Amino acid sequence: MIRFLILTFRTAGKKNLSADELVSKLEEGSNKWCKASIQVLCTLWSEHGASVHAQQKVHSMLSTCQLVDVQWKLAMAVSSDTCRSLNSPYVSLLLKVLEPSGQISQRSFEMTIPQFQNFHKQLKEMAAIMETV
Amino acid sequence: MADVEETKSQSGLLNRIAQMVYYNKSEITEELLKDELYPEMSREEFKALYDKMKGLLKSIAIADMDHSQLEAFLTAQTKKQGSGRVSAEQAAALSRFWKSQRVRVRESLLAQSRWETTLKGLSWRVDLQAADNLRNSDHSDPVALMELELGRDGQDSEFLCLEFDEARMNQMLKKMADIQESIDRVVHHA
Repeated sequence: MIRFLILTFRTAGKKNLSADELVSKLEEGSNKWCKASIQVLCTLWSEHGASVHAQQKVHSMLSTCQLVDVQWKLAMAVSSDTCRSLNSPYVSLLLKVLEPSGQISQRSFEMTIPQFQNFHKQLKEMAAIMETV
Repeated sequence: MADVEETKSQSGLLNRIAQMVYYNKSEITEELLKDELYPEMSREEFKALYDKMKGLLKSIAIADMDHSQLEAFLTAQTKKQGSGRVSAEQAAALSRFWKSQRVRVRESLLAQSRWETTLKGLSWRVDLQAADNLRNSDHSDPVALMELELGRDGQDSEFLCLEFDEARMNQMLKKMADIQESIDRVVHHA
């Protein structure tokens, strides 16, 4: 139960959910919640939710990683069991990051071509600002 | 009168099937559909109709049929013998449906085939690094902080925060330019 609550609060903080959103999420998960419990959680979150979220933001800023290496791949999804001719290109990135702890870890993710182009555009904007600053 | 009603029900059935299968609206059930569109039909009859239309729709979607493929396919279906035969009205409904929904169904199929982690969000800011004890204090270096939200459907996202100085940013930009070059070379020829 405690584990569940911790996880729920952590997610709600990260997503900056309002008290109402948190309640709907809980109710979606199970119809076994009793009114009183929901009320308590709702009040609790209304009072403390914002500071949980702020604290998490700080925490994630403090755990800033350094990018050590980037590998990329441009691939094409050709076919799937629900669609024989997908013909869908996508970009896949593999990031090697140095965590504040000193450990090196990897993260990979995919982007559609439009997503990639937006990503690229944002990086260019950052670079432009860095130059003028 | 009856024809118009029949046409509406056919179109309605196809739209609903698409919503269930492709657009992930899970509140619709076969039971509800029957009550909504064909209340007078028996359950067995409706199930047969539902399965038939769903099967046809899946065949069309799996092949992502273009206009001529669709026409050939539907013509063949109308010529079949027995219960597998598709009526002219049903064929017309399928044809109309595919013409308007093809792109949307295709996009839904594409999205369903993305199982890996994707970039869900990106936010950033540029900071000026104030003096520290190792450097000359009149020289401020800009630092970009980028927060990537990485996740999959149905799972909670992970937030990855990266820091870039100018040198690293330039390296990153170079890689992105390489990717764009590859895209330009490959994708336009597809």
